Amino acid sequence: MSSAARIPAPEKLRRPKTKGAVSSRDDSTRSLKRFVHQVRDVAVGDETAFDRGVLTVGRAASTLFESPALAGVRLTWASPGDPVRIVKLLDAVEPRCKEGGGIFPGFVGPPEQQGVGTTHVLSGAAVVTAGFLPRAQEAVVDMAGPAQPLSFLGATHNLVVEFTPAADADWEDVDAALRVGALKLAEHLAAAATSAPPDAAEELAGLGAPGSSELPRVAAVTNLQTQGKFKDVFVYGTSFSAEPPRLIDPNELEDGAVVSGQYGHPALKNPTYVHQNHPIAAALRRRHGRDLHFAGLVICPEPVDQTGKERASADVAALCRDAGFDAVIITKEGGGNADADVSLKMDALEQMGISAIGLFAEMAGADGSAPPLVIAPANATAMVSTGNYDHRVELPAVERALGGEDFSLLDVPATAELSVPVAVVYGSLSPLGIGRLTCREAA
Amino acid sequence: MERAGIPTALLCNLVSLAEKVGAPRIVPTRGIPYPAGDPSLSHDDEKEWRRALVKRALHAVSTPVTSPTIFPVEQEASA
Amino acid sequence: MTRVVHYVNQFFAGLGGEDQAGIAPSLKEGAVGPGRRLAQLLGDDAEIVATVYCGDDYAASVEGAAAQILALVMSYEPDVLIAGPAFGSGRYGLACARLGAAADAAGLPVVVAMHEDNPGLDEAGTIPVVASGATSREMRASLDRLGAAARKVIAGDALTSDDGRIGRAARATTVAETTAAERAVDLVLTRLAGDRDATEIPLPRFDRVMPAQPIEDPATATVALVTEGAVVPNGNPDGLESARATRWLRYPIDEVASLASGDYVSVHGGFSTSWANEDPCRILPLDVARELEQEGAIGKLHAAYLVTAGNGTSVANARRFGIEWAAELRKAGVQAAVLTST
Repeated sequence: MSSAARIPAPEKLRRPKTKGAVSSRDDSTRSLKRFVHQVRDVAVGDETAFDRGVLTVGRAASTLFESPALAGVRLTWASPGDPVRIVKLLDAVEPRCKEGGGIFPGFVGPPEQQGVGTTHVLSGAAVVTAGFLPRAQEAVVDMAGPAQPLSFLGATHNLVVEFTPAADADWEDVDAALRVGALKLAEHLAAAATSAPPDAAEELAGLGAPGSSELPRVAAVTNLQTQGKFKDVFVYGTSFSAEPPRLIDPNELEDGAVVSGQYGHPALKNPTYVHQNHPIAAALRRRHGRDLHFAGLVICPEPVDQTGKERASADVAALCRDAGFDAVIITKEGGGNADADVSLKMDALEQMGISAIGLFAEMAGADGSAPPLVIAPANATAMVSTGNYDHRVELPAVERALGGEDFSLLDVPATAELSVPVAVVYGSLSPLGIGRLTCREAA
Repeated sequence: MERAGIPTALLCNLVSLAEKVGAPRIVPTRGIPYPAGDPSLSHDDEKEWRRALVKRALHAVSTPVTSPTIFPVEQEASA
Repeated sequence: MTRVVHYVNQFFAGLGGEDQAGIAPSLKEGAVGPGRRLAQLLGDDAEIVATVYCGDDYAASVEGAAAQILALVMSYEPDVLIAGPAFGSGRYGLACARLGAAADAAGLPVVVAMHEDNPGLDEAGTIPVVASGATSREMRASLDRLGAAARKVIAGDALTSDDGRIGRAARATTVAETTAAERAVDLVLTRLAGDRDATEIPLPRFDRVMPAQPIEDPATATVALVTEGAVVPNGNPDGLESARATRWLRYPIDEVASLASGDYVSVHGGFSTSWANEDPCRILPLDVARELEQEGAIGKLHAAYLVTAGNGTSVANARRFGIEWAAELRKAGVQAAVLTST
């Protein structure tokens, strides 16, 4: 039944005729206009503005964080090449807004379905919250030096939001206030660019757009870490932890339908920024209509128990079968525990004749010789490596640090020389595939 | 054979290898050239040892297992 | 002058065959047996200062054997250890793998050679192993490859599959040209085009075996005796191969109480068969099984035993035999089996 046994036609892979029902969504008018504005330089000034690539944040922008839970915030730019380190990173958000409103539904905009209309993007910038929260794992990004290329934030102008909690505030309230404030700030910055001529204007076809029936239907399955307070992921403003897997239009992600409140695992987390710029969706979209038909995106929680994981995998496999997917790329969030969710899905899908690719970070030990995966698929075999968790990196001392005074992992000042596994570098092993770290057999 | 539903006791000496390839029911033996024997014993004692091995094998095929399991013969061959 | 120690088994050290498989580790000065040609291949700047050897049974079964052998190796202060070629010999391959791993852990550069199907390969971990032929008939080519690989190891260069490297290599972290997401899309298209083996993370694959449900009670079951110990009627009338068996055989034992010495022999080429020939029941325990049947501990013994030679059997053939045995036994109503392995 699987198309894998067929020899492809010379130019295109032909879609096998034996697949099940196609998605019943038939709204071929769904599409999203995306206007991308490149940020080339940044500044602080009296008013927020965007002019010929220079993004200025007005000093009053900190009022967007006003909340009983926060005594104050400090906004500082950290740009590529600056001798600056950011520690205790929490979330990262790309500045975006929608004409007519609606961005970040459930937090800033009302919780209504998005993914259509016009969205403005300030590319090359990010709002980054940083500071202590419970259960948050120590993380690091260097804006210069050997570790700079290891994180996608090493390439963006980052508006770092440091915060002081209010005296008696509950940590959850602090977290919530930071989240809403960061999303509002992201919208506020992008709003300054709406009248500027964009550097790029794109039309992203929505789910259900007619495509060639000859091309293989390929979809993405995005597992979201949903482990409660400070390790949760929100969809349209609500925790996704008790939800069944859901087929969505990838364009909904462009508008911030998925927001991260997950502060564990710095290298293996998917910050809001990465959901907004979903790398698998972007890569599939680039080949859409030529080599494949980008057929949709499924979001799925990562249950913490084996029974839950097995049920979620069976549900996702059924969903993919009913949607008529020929192949699926599965990603995770988190460490070895999350591997189980990917592996179970890969096996369930392959058993149905649907080709499955999984993205994994390896835990091969400091010298790369340990067995690479904690929980590997039993039978499925096609895996992409996003690098070795245990690979060590040496970070030189820096001039200044944002996000905290100390680097708690090593109990040294945040500006000190650091020797750490790459697992500590924010976004370095990106399970959604935004990075370029990988493992090969040692030559 | 296990896949076909015939529980099979594997009498072998290289136990770690048997585990690695997934043999579910493993009964360790005393030597490669004599899986069901032990030439260091007298004829009668060797036969007792052989008997103990086969009885353990019967026990193994009557025991539910979920992953490679080792069934050693107890010191006093009474199992 | 680079000091090299060479490890071989008792046979290649010239001590003897299977009858010497139990000897403890020992050594001879200089190169011995295949080591002589290996020494030539290593060139003038390297010298095989000692050849350490050990009986295959001892090396594969005695606790701490690898450490004992390593101690002998280290006593000659080598710069490099070369082990093998072990060809398809499982015990020899295991010995080389364990010794190699121990040497590597002790910081001694090592290179091992064995056939890629050698069951010992898996214990080599990530130390360099290069493929050899399946048997010593391919000694010359195998030594050529091992010698070339050893020269690279002596020079401090890494071995790749171009050098014939097999087994697991350590994972090195690098920066790829494209993002993981893009590579994932490449991989999905590659897989859909028919390449079902492509992956960035290779995992050792053994078929997962789902254990069968146990039988209720041996006293009511039909049990078959099967073996890969190559026990056949004297004279090997059906010509079972001693190695790389391509088939299996069945022999009736319905009225037979025991396999008597002289009536049956083992033609297995992978171990010393003298013990088996003294008493074939040491391979196929028919005597005690028949007694247990008579006592009622076994319901019924199957009317025949199945046999092949498990010596250098290819994985594919072994798998096929298992499938065919399963089919035959099921058809005959057999409910459980005792499989002796050598």
